[in-house]
Amino acid sequence: MNELSRTVTGQVEIRLQRNSFESTIGTVHDRLALLRLLRDVGPALLALLIAVYLVDALMPAAIAVATGALVGTGGQDIMSAVLVLGGILLTGQAVSQFRPAVETLAGGRVDGAHRARLSELATRGATLPALERREVQDLIKIATADPLNWVDQTPGDGAVTQLELVVRYVGLLSSAAVLAAWSWWLIPAVVLPAFACRLLMVHEWRGHFRVWVAGIEHDRQKNYWNELAFRPAEGREARIFGFGAWLADRYLRHVNAHLGPVWSDDRRMARRTWWMFLLAAVPLAGVYFWVGYGTAAGHGSLAQLTAVVTAAWSMFQMIGRGYDMIALEGSRVVVAAIRDLERLLPSEPVQVAQGSGVRFAGVRFAYPETSRQILDGVDLEIAPGERVALVGLNGAGKSTLTKLLAGLYQPDSGTIAVETPVAVVFQDFVKYQLSLADNVTLGSAVPVDGAALESACEDAGLADVLSRLPDGYDTPLARARTGGVDLSGGQWQLVALARALYATRTGARVLVLDEPTAHLDVRTEADLFGRLAAITKGISVLLISHRLATVRQADRVALLDGGRITEQGTHEELMALGGAYARMYAIQAERFTRGFEDRLEEGELI
Amino acid sequence: MTGLRWELFRLAWREHPGLSALIVVYLSVGLASFAAIGLTLRALVEAARDGHVRTLAVAAASAAVAFSLDWVVGHLGISLRVHLAEKVGVTRITPELMLLSNDLPEIEHLERTDFQDRLTILIGQGWALGDAPWAVLESIFLSLRLLVTLAVLGSVDPWLLLLLPCAGAQLWLESFGRRRMVAAQLAAAEDQRLQRHLFADVCVNPGAAKEVLVAGISSRVATLQRHAYDRALRTRVGGLAASGRWSAAGWALFVAAFTGAIGLVAATGSPGDVVLAVVIGTQLRAAVEHVVHRSAEAANRITVLEPYRWLRAYAAQRRPAPGRPAPTRLRDGIELRNVTYIYPGTSREAVSSVSAHLPAGSVVALVGEYGSGKTTLVKLLAKMCSPDAGKILVDGIPLPSVDTVSWRAGMSAAFQDFGRYQTTFAESVELGDLGSPIDDAVAAADAETLVARLPLGHKTMLGRRFGGVELSEGQWQKVALARACVRPKPLLFLLDEPTASLDAPSEQAIFERYMERARRIAALTGGITVIVSHRFSTVAGADLILVMRAGRLVEAGKHEELTKLGGIYADLYGIQASAYASRSA
Repeated sequence: MNELSRTVTGQVEIRLQRNSFESTIGTVHDRLALLRLLRDVGPALLALLIAVYLVDALMPAAIAVATGALVGTGGQDIMSAVLVLGGILLTGQAVSQFRPAVETLAGGRVDGAHRARLSELATRGATLPALERREVQDLIKIATADPLNWVDQTPGDGAVTQLELVVRYVGLLSSAAVLAAWSWWLIPAVVLPAFACRLLMVHEWRGHFRVWVAGIEHDRQKNYWNELAFRPAEGREARIFGFGAWLADRYLRHVNAHLGPVWSDDRRMARRTWWMFLLAAVPLAGVYFWVGYGTAAGHGSLAQLTAVVTAAWSMFQMIGRGYDMIALEGSRVVVAAIRDLERLLPSEPVQVAQGSGVRFAGVRFAYPETSRQILDGVDLEIAPGERVALVGLNGAGKSTLTKLLAGLYQPDSGTIAVETPVAVVFQDFVKYQLSLADNVTLGSAVPVDGAALESACEDAGLADVLSRLPDGYDTPLARARTGGVDLSGGQWQLVALARALYATRTGARVLVLDEPTAHLDVRTEADLFGRLAAITKGISVLLISHRLATVRQADRVALLDGGRITEQGTHEELMALGGAYARMYAIQAERFTRGFEDRLEEGELI
Repeated sequence: MTGLRWELFRLAWREHPGLSALIVVYLSVGLASFAAIGLTLRALVEAARDGHVRTLAVAAASAAVAFSLDWVVGHLGISLRVHLAEKVGVTRITPELMLLSNDLPEIEHLERTDFQDRLTILIGQGWALGDAPWAVLESIFLSLRLLVTLAVLGSVDPWLLLLLPCAGAQLWLESFGRRRMVAAQLAAAEDQRLQRHLFADVCVNPGAAKEVLVAGISSRVATLQRHAYDRALRTRVGGLAASGRWSAAGWALFVAAFTGAIGLVAATGSPGDVVLAVVIGTQLRAAVEHVVHRSAEAANRITVLEPYRWLRAYAAQRRPAPGRPAPTRLRDGIELRNVTYIYPGTSREAVSSVSAHLPAGSVVALVGEYGSGKTTLVKLLAKMCSPDAGKILVDGIPLPSVDTVSWRAGMSAAFQDFGRYQTTFAESVELGDLGSPIDDAVAAADAETLVARLPLGHKTMLGRRFGGVELSEGQWQKVALARACVRPKPLLFLLDEPTASLDAPSEQAIFERYMERARRIAALTGGITVIVSHRFSTVAGADLILVMRAGRLVEAGKHEELTKLGGIYADLYGIQASAYASRSA
C-alpha cells in the first residue's frame, strides 16, 4: 500500500489515476470482476435480468423493422403488420415497466452479499489489531459503499450496469443489421461518430468525477459544519460564544473549495456537449439524405428507408451515453477495497489457552508501532469463583489487560490461560438499536434462553426500567424504531451489565467489568456493588473501578503499576503493607473527608 | 408552498439571471425539437417517395438537427439544473438556514425531538430547495411536450386525438403506481436504517467489533443485519413491482388504442404519416414517464419545503426583541423569584417555583439527583429558555429586558453535553471567543499536558471524523473547559458537570484554579460562578449550595450547614462517606 493512500480521498484518487494508466487488459479484468459479482444474483433472477435488458436492447431494431414492414405492405396484410408492431410495442413497454424492480432486486442481492462478506471479514477472527489499523479503517470506509453522494456507487450498481452494457452491445448488433440491409457502409458512417460521442462523454464524465472526488474531503467538512447548526450541544455553545456566523462562514469556505472547481468544470462540460451535437447531426444528416436520395432513385424501398432512419438514430442513443461510467468507476474502487481487505485482515483467531479461572504469566505487550511497553511482565491469577479488583493510575494499562484477557490481542511474550468463553462489559459497550431481549441475549452465542434473560435483567437492576417499557422485553431501545424508546446513559449501563450477566448464566465462567458504573448515580451504584457478590456467585470476576471504596469489597486487590502487578492481597493486607495502594487509598479517603471525591480515572492514551 | 416556490424561483433569477434564462431556453428548445422529430421524418419519407431532392435535403438536415438537438439539450438541461440548484441552494439557502437556526435566541427547536426530526431533513438538502421551483417548471414543460405530441398526431387524423384520454388514463395509472413505490420506500426506511446500524456501527466498527468477537456473536449479528437488509430490499422491490404492474396495465391500454390508431393511419394516410405516428408513439413512453417522474420529484420536494417553511415561520415568530445592554459589573447579584419552567410538549414542571439569591462575586453549587432540574436552571440563567412563571432579575433588572446577545457576550459556560469540534485543537478552544489568545485558557483547564501529548501540538486535528486524533471523554472535556475559559472575565460563568469524566488529580487541579479564578473575577466585576456537580469535592467549597429535588429547591446553605441539617444533602454525602468509614480502620 502506498504511503500517500492514507486517507480515503487519497485512495480513491490514487486508484482513479491508476485506472487511467491501466492497460486495456487491466480494465477488462476489473469489468470481469464486476460481472463475476452477479453470481450472487441467482440463476433465475439473472436470466430474468438478462431477458429484460435484451428486450430493451432489441426494441429499436424490432420497431424499425416492423415500421418498415408496415410502410411497405401497401394495402394487403396491413392488419397483420399493425398487429406485429402493436405486439412489439406492448412487449417492450410492459417489460421495461418491470425493469426497475428486477434491477433493484439483482443489484440489492449483490450488495447484500457484499456486505455479508465485509462483515464476515471484519469479525471472522480475533482481528482487532488489524481492524484498528488506519489503512484498514479507510478501506472499510470505501468498501462499506453507503451512497452518500453521487460518486459513491455500490458493487450492485456496478455489476448491473456492466451487464446492461454488455447486453446493450448485443442490441447494437441488431440495429447494425438493419443498417447493413440497406448498405454495409452505413455501419461505419453511424457507428464511428456514435462511438466518438461515447468516448467524449466517458472522458468528460471521468474528468468530472475526478474533479468532484478531488474535493470530497471538503464535501465531508461542509456537511459536518452544516450539521452543527442544528445540533443542541453545539447550538448551545454557538449562542453562548457567539460563533453562529462563523459556522456558516466555515461551511461556505468548504463549499467554495469543493464546488468552485466542480462548477467551472460544469461550464467546460456544457460547452463540450455541443461537440456531441455536431458529431451526431452531421453524419445523421448525411446518412438520411443519402438513403433518402437512394430511395428516390429506386435503390431500396420506403420500408427500408423508414427502418434505416429509425435504427440510425437509436444507435446514437444506445452508444452515446457516458453516465454509466460513474457506476463502473465508482464501484470498481469498492471491489478493489474488499480485495485489499481480504489480504490485510487475518483469518486466524488469536489462540487463547484454556485454563480454569484466569492466569497471566510474564505477559508483555506493546501496541504495534509504538515504543511504550504497556505490560511488562504481568503475573496475575484469578481462581475460579474469586473476585479480583484491578487498580492503577492513569494509563497503567488496565483496559489493555482486559483486551488481552478477552483474546483480542496476542501478548508479545508470556502466556495467558483463560477459561473461555469470557463475558466483558467494556467502557464503550454497544448500544444495539434492537429490542431489550436482543440487547441482553447478544451477550453470548448460545440459543436464546428466556429464563437466563429474565434473571440477568432482574439482577442487573433493570426491573424498574423494564416495567416502564411499552412492549417489555420486545421494546426496541432506539426512538428511531417503531415503538422504540431511548434510554439514558445510566440505564444503558444496566443493560450492558445484564448482557454480561446473561453470558455468565449461559456458559461464561469469567466476567470482566471495566468501570461498569461510570454513568450511574451514587445511589444506584452503591446498591449494585452491594449485590455484586450475590449475582456473580461461582464466577471469576475481574473488576476495574476507580472508586477505591468499592474496590475494597473484592476478595483480592491487585495494583498495576509500571506494567507489572506490584502489590496484591486483600484490602486490609495491602493497607497493612503500607505500600502504593495504601497511599492511594489514604489520599482518596482524605480527599473525600475534605470534600473531594474518590475517583481515579484512567485517561485513554493517545 | 406555491408562494415559497415562487420566492425560490425569484431568488434564482435574481442571483443567476443568465443561467436561469438559459434553462428556460433549453426547455423550450427541447419542446420544439421533440415535436419537430416526427414532422421532419414525415417530410423526409414523403420527399423520398416523391423524389423532391431539394425538399429531401432540407428534411434530412432538419431531422438530423431535431434528433441531435433534442438529445443534447436534454443532457444540458439536466446538468444546468443541477448546477443552478447547487449554486442557489448550497451557497445561499443553506447558509441562510444555518443563520436562521443559530440566530434564534432559544434552543427549543434543537432539543425537541419532533422539531429535530424536521431540521434533520434539511441537512445537506439546500440544493433540493434550490431545485424545487425548477422541478415544477420542468414538469410543466414535459406536460406541454405531451400535449404537443398529441396535437401533431391530431394533425394527421383528428380521430387520433382520442388517444389523449388514453394517455390521461395512462398517466393516472402510472402515478398511482408511483405512489405505491414511494410508500414502499418509506415503509422500508426503518429496516434500512437498522441494517445500516448493525453493519456500520457494529460489524465493521472496531470499538463495537471487540464485543462481538468476545461474545462470539458475529454470525448472529450478521444474520440480524442480513434479515433487516433483505426485509428492506423485499419491501422496496415489492413497491417497484406493484408500480410496474400499474404502469404495465396503463401501457397495455394505451398500446391497444395506439395500435388501432396506427391501423387507421396505415389504411388511410401516407407512408410519411405512418412513420410520424410510430415515431411519436414510441417516444410517448419516454415523454409520459418523464412527466410522471418529474412531477413526483417536484412533489417530493415538499418533504424539504415543509421543514424549510416551518423553520422560517418559527424563526419569524421568535425574533429576539432588542433590549438594553447587559451590565458590565454586578453589584447585587442575580435573583430568582418563584421561577417555574415546563418544557414545551410536556406537563411536568422541570423547575418549580424556585426562589434564590445568587450574590455578586459568589460561587454557587447546584446539587441534586438526575432530573431534579439543575441543568434547566442553568439554561434559564443563560436565557436558553424563559420562565413560564416568575422572574429572574439581574441587579434588579428583569432578564428578558436585557439584550440576549450582550448578556451572552458577558458570560461563559461549559455544559455537560459539550461540542466535540472536529478541527484543530487551537480552533476548538478559540471558538470560546474568536480572535482571543488561548494560552491562559489552556492552562486554566489543566490541558497543557494534553497539548504536549498531541502529535502536532495546537495544530493537531481532533476527532476521528476527519482523520484527526480521537480523544478520550476526559480529554474532550478538557478542551470544552479550555474553551469556556477563553473569555477573561465573565459576569456569569456556568459549569454544568464540568469534570465528570476527569480523573481526581485533574479535577482537583482544575477546581483549585477555578476557585482562584472565580475569586479574581468576582473581585473585578462581581461575576458569579454557578457549578452543577455530583461531586462533593466540587460542591463543598462553594459559598452557597442549592439542593434541588423534582424541580424544587429543597435546601440551601453552606456545606457545614447542610451536613448538620440531616436532609437530602447529608444523605447523599453519607452514602459515599460510609464506604470509607465502615471498614477502614
